[in-house]
Amino acid sequence: MNLEDDLRRTLRRESPAPGFAARVLERIDRAEVAPPVREHPGRTWRAVAASLTLTALLGGWGAHAVYERREGERAREQVLLALRLAGQKVRYAQGEVRTIGSSE
Amino acid sequence: MRKLIIGLTLTLLIAIPAAAQRINLDFPGLEERAEEVVDVTLDSSMLRLAAKFLGKDNDEREVREMLNGLTGIYVRSYSFSKDGDYDRALITRIKSQLGTTWKPLVTVRSKTKENVDIMADMRGDKIQGLVIISAEPREFTVVNIVGTIDIDRLSRLEGEFGIPRISKGGQND
Repeated sequence: MNLEDDLRRTLRRESPAPGFAARVLERIDRAEVAPPVREHPGRTWRAVAASLTLTALLGGWGAHAVYERREGERAREQVLLALRLAGQKVRYAQGEVRTIGSSE
Repeated sequence: MRKLIIGLTLTLLIAIPAAAQRINLDFPGLEERAEEVVDVTLDSSMLRLAAKFLGKDNDEREVREMLNGLTGIYVRSYSFSKDGDYDRALITRIKSQLGTTWKPLVTVRSKTKENVDIMADMRGDKIQGLVIISAEPREFTVVNIVGTIDIDRLSRLEGEFGIPRISKGGQND
């Protein structure tokens, strides 16, 4: 029973103090007239520097990708050349062994 | 300190046999005398890079699979304008670098055609390295493949990939 009384007391409807609405409206008005943002003189330069850095990074990455592609293609051709050359020699040797084997 | 010494010793024990598979293919003065030179030096990082650029057709897929077990491919091929323009002692010099795990697989001796020596670094049942020495009157070629390799698979690769075959003397057909 006591608990119910406590809850009823705590949650009962109460009227706001006089002048509450006026105080809320006044605070909203103050918030709307916010002070203007000050332009920092270094901000523009920082933006330019950031853009230049980004451009350099993207450019570097692009150049690296082109270089890697060229190196990769060259490595691929070398692998194919080397394995084909090795295969050619192995086949020749196997052929000679077969020839000797069949003539015996 | 003790851990460091044990670590270093283990690293050396692992590194020495692995490094032993690669042979020295520097032949001073030979390049100057040769008419044509093929020099291929591909370590494991270059092989990984090459694998990325191999195509998706059957031939190149097979090459990519073969590269998985390899850590290096080294080729030196020299073509000369005159017969016997290189010292045949080079063959002995190359063979002297090979350790006890290296076994001769095939040796071809011919008076009219090329002489070929194929030696494999046998570790158990697997071939962990291959050296092919081909000596002709006007051409000398050494191929050193480091890593696990299937020799039958290698022999099937000749003349594939849409690249013209290499004829004797280094000319493409």
